[in-house]
This record gives sequence, structure tokens and C-alpha cells, in this order.
Amino acid sequence: MSDPKRLHPIAAVVNALRQLKEMIIPFLIFVVFGSRGTDWDLFYFIGSIGVVVLVLVYGVLSWYRFTYRIEQGELRIEYGLIVRKKRYIPFDRIQSLDLSEGILQRLFGLVKVKVETAGSGGMGLQDGEAVLTAITKQDAQAIHDYLVSIKKSGQIPQGEEEPQSSDDLLYKMSVSELLMLATTSGGVGVVISAVFAFVFQFEEFIPYEQIFDGVEHFVQNGVVFISVVVFLGFLLAWMIALFGTMLKYANFTVRKVDNDLVITRGLLEKRQFTIPLNRIQAVRISENLIRQPLGYASAYVESAGGSALDQESSKVLILPIVKKRKIPGLLEPHLAEYHFRVSISPAPQRAYSRYLLKGWLFTLPIIIVAIWFLRPWGFGALLLLPISALWSYLNYKDAGWSLDQGMLTFRYRNIVKSTVYMRKNKVQSFSVKESFFQRKKNLATVEAIVKSGHGGAGGKVIDLEKRHVDMIYHWYSHETAE
Amino acid sequence: MTISEPQKRISEQALTVWKIAATLHSLVVWVLAGGLIAITLIFDFPEWIIAAAIAVAVVYSYLFIILLPTLRWKRWRYEVREQEIELQYGVFIIKRTLIPMIRVQHVDTQQGPLLRKYRLSTVTVSTAATIHEIPALDMEEAENLRISISRLARVADEDV
Repeated sequence: MSDPKRLHPIAAVVNALRQLKEMIIPFLIFVVFGSRGTDWDLFYFIGSIGVVVLVLVYGVLSWYRFTYRIEQGELRIEYGLIVRKKRYIPFDRIQSLDLSEGILQRLFGLVKVKVETAGSGGMGLQDGEAVLTAITKQDAQAIHDYLVSIKKSGQIPQGEEEPQSSDDLLYKMSVSELLMLATTSGGVGVVISAVFAFVFQFEEFIPYEQIFDGVEHFVQNGVVFISVVVFLGFLLAWMIALFGTMLKYANFTVRKVDNDLVITRGLLEKRQFTIPLNRIQAVRISENLIRQPLGYASAYVESAGGSALDQESSKVLILPIVKKRKIPGLLEPHLAEYHFRVSISPAPQRAYSRYLLKGWLFTLPIIIVAIWFLRPWGFGALLLLPISALWSYLNYKDAGWSLDQGMLTFRYRNIVKSTVYMRKNKVQSFSVKESFFQRKKNLATVEAIVKSGHGGAGGKVIDLEKRHVDMIYHWYSHETAE
Repeated sequence: MTISEPQKRISEQALTVWKIAATLHSLVVWVLAGGLIAITLIFDFPEWIIAAAIAVAVVYSYLFIILLPTLRWKRWRYEVREQEIELQYGVFIIKRTLIPMIRVQHVDTQQGPLLRKYRLSTVTVSTAATIHEIPALDMEEAENLRISISRLARVADEDV
């Protein structure tokens, strides 16, 4: 397998299309500003055609230059039209191969292979990886097999027996779950605007005109009209999002192959992610406002490294939507170090007033401004007070922590309720914060940071019992632990 | 259960450096105040503007040159132990941070002209996900710290 290979010709098309897509905005500006004077139309037309042709030619030529081969345990890529570049990636440095199939690839039975190395990124080498835009499935399989054989021979010097490569199905999303996922993601805007539209319908029943004599006719009609338009807009956006989500997450499966989690998803564009288990830094369970009352939640893993600076490779959705009580059963057998049935200690009762105050600190300015400037309607903003109180109550209720067998769990809510499970040895740094007022009440804030992608992620719980916080601090300290 | 605070303080010179830096900063405020006073005099604006401008500049200078650096310096503690680094800092909010040695990726020291004049260095400790700073240590101490931390950090080599 040492002779240089080219990508499938379709790669040239894919690359050219991507180039064109990136050019759309400058192109539009060019056309818009260019089509002022009538004499210039022809010039601009020819110019545009010329640019498109250039891009296509460039695409074909760079496809022609791009070769890859497997040689001496390395993936060797040579490319570059004007500046010739060579990139050799040793196979034992390759962390994972991410396969995806776009529409064009699928038409021709091809895959796009992204080669991820461990060391990429960090020191500014974010493109320390390789992308093979379109190769046949057999070739991809061959690369994969080669990778597996190298890893096996490298890691197991003389094993008693070749470990069977295991392949467990961890989770497969059902159709009803897909529907659930699509309808409950990002739907808050629709609900709110529906409520608004609905509230304004009450005008029929409540004689607002008599209550607020001075309200102008225009405002009333305007508000109703705008709220309906906004609602329809949201509805449309939501439908599009719903459709998009369904396409994106259809056939979502998670398998455990050897020591990797392999996630496959997508209908039109098929994507496959591989996360080595040892790169998992934390597990996060999120419940958004719509899913929580229905008992549904989603689970993410924070993963270290990843090839590019894209969010997708650091915070990976492994369970898009499942009944919350099913999560331990699904994950525990496979993520042996994590256990999800922990008892969470809540924040002390006296913390509630601080949560409440903090909420009001944000809402009061809004209320004052609203009352000041929108006199009769502005008083409606007073409704924000109980809403904010309820919100603070939820935040307070959800704040909690747990220590259990080398695992730290934080639970907190911003808008979405999150529970973060972190192993002690994966926590990069740990902080305790006390403000003057917290000290008076014997409360403190804890924060733990794990690596996620090239940055950090983690959790922060506000206003816990100081004594408990000290306990967690001690637990984390490597000096006192012994 | 209470935790004893970290023992070591940062260099006393840091306070001087901070005060000089803050004086330079507050010069901007004084220039602005001066400009405002000039405009008030030229255009005959009410006199209270002059008083207010001076008051703001004075309060600003007091806060940022005298009060805050002193509080900040008093609070700053650190301790480098065999297996971890502990930091404590903050003026209104006290923050205490633990960085396990095995998590340390690298240590840097750096100094600007002001720090150099006073023979100080800033020590920066980076983990894979976070960056922590000890703002002003004696140059030799910083150097030793950098060497010892990187030595300690090298002992434990773990994946990520």
C-alpha cells in the first residue's frame, strides 16, 4: 500500500464548491457595488465568470497535486499547488479517524476521513491533522485496519491472546426520541411568542381600553400585529430547525468499539465521531426547560484534544435525549469510572436569600426602565419580580454537590440544569471563592475546571455551605489526601 | 474543618510597582479632569463641574494607587508544595485555587520594564486548561520556582 494515491475526483468538486461558498459574500458585495454603472455590467459579468472558472481550475489542479500514501508506518500526504507541502503523520500518533459522508460523497459511495492526532493544537498547530476529502470506503477501511494493526502491535508486546475487538451497542435513538429531540430543542422562543400572542388575544375579553384610557389605537393594533408576525416567524424558524435537527440526528447510534466510543449520526450527511475513552474528561447531563418537566435529559462528554478548534470535538453529545432515569443504566456499564446514582447535597437554606437578591439585582433595572419609559404597559414588567423569584428558587434548588469514590459532582442551573461528573484526576484546577457577604453567611462558591478541547470547561456552584466547600477543597488537595 | 491559608507572600516590592503603575494610569484621569476644568473655565460652565472633576480624580487616585494595591498585596499568598500549588488572592472576593503538580504543563516567568527595574518577575503556571499567575516574585525566587515546578511537574507524567 505504498504507491501514492489521489483522492476521488469528486474531492475536486467538493473543494471547489467550498471555495465558492466562501466567496459568496465578497462576490455579492462585488456584484452589488459593481452593478451601479450600466456600462460596467458586461465587465463584471465576465469578471465573475472568470473568477468561477479560476476557482474550478484551481480545485482540479490542487486535487491533482494532492496525493497520500501509507509508507513506513506513516500516513504521508503531499500537496500544494505553488508551495509544495509534505505532511507525514506517524500512525501511532493518530488518535482517531473521523468519517463523514456529505451528500456528494454519498452519491458516489465515498467518505471523508479526518485524521486526528493527539498533539495537534495547543501550540498553534491546529492543523496538525489531515483531511482526505473523498476516498472510497474500501480505502478508508484499509487505512483504519492499518491503524488498528499498528496500535495493537504497538501496545501489546506479546499478549497471551489477541484481545477480541469488542463492539457493543450502547445506545440507538428511536424514532420517538428523534421526534422528541427535534421538537424540544430551541423551542423556547416559540413557546414564549405563542404565549405573548395568546395574551394579547385577551383584549377581546378584558376591556383594556377602559382600564388604560390613554393607550393609542395604533399601539394596540401594532402590538397584536407584531406579536402575530413574530410568532409566525418563530414558528417558521422552529420548523426549519426541527427539520434540520431530524436530518442531523437521524440514525444516532453510540457504540463502544474496544476503548473508543463511536458515534454515528445523520441522514443526508452521515458523520462518525470517535472518542477514545481515556480522553473523556467529564460527563455532563443537561436538562433544558422543556425537557426537564418531561423527565428527559441529554448527556455530553467533555473530551480533551480533538483536531480542530471546533466545538463538536470537545463537547460531544452522546445521548441526545433519553429519560433521565435511564442514563445510569446506559452509561455506567461502559464508563466504568463514572457512577451517576450519587446523592447530591444541596445548598443550605440561608443561601436562598442570596440567590433571590442576585436575581432581583438583574431584573430591577429592567423593571425601572420599563416603567419609566413605557408608562401604562411598563407596569407589566413587575411580573418579572415573581418570575425572577421563581427562577432564583430553581437555581437555588438545583445547586448541589457530591463526593463519591474519587468523583466530584456539581449540579447547577443557569438556564439549563447541568450535572457535571468529574474524576478527581481529571480536574485541572480547583478554586474556592468567598465574597465579603458570603463570608458573613458562611457560604462559598466552588469551581472546578477540566480540559475540554483546547480550553477549559467545568462547573461552578454558588453559595454552598462553607464547611462543605472546605471539605471538597481538602478532598481535592493532593497533600492532605494522603 | 478550616483550611490554613498559604504561607508565602509575594515580594514587598510588588506594592511599589503596582503603585507606580496605578499612578501612571491615574495620570490619564487627571489629564481628563484637567481638560474638563479647562473647558469649564473657557465656556463658563457652572463651577461645580470643576469640583466634581477634582473629586473624581482624587477618589480614583486614592482607590487605585493606595487602597486597592495595599489590600491586594495583603491578600496575596501562595505556596508551592511537593504535589500542588496553592494560590490565594482577591480584594472583595477571596479566591483560593489548587493546581495539582501533575496537571502543570509548563511554567513561565516574564517581566516588563517596571518589574525588571525592581528585580521582579511574574510567574505563570499553565495546565492543559487553565493559566494561573503569581504577579510579582523576587527574580531569583521566581527562577527557582520555575525550575522546581517544572522538575516536580515532570515527575508525574500522565495522559492529559
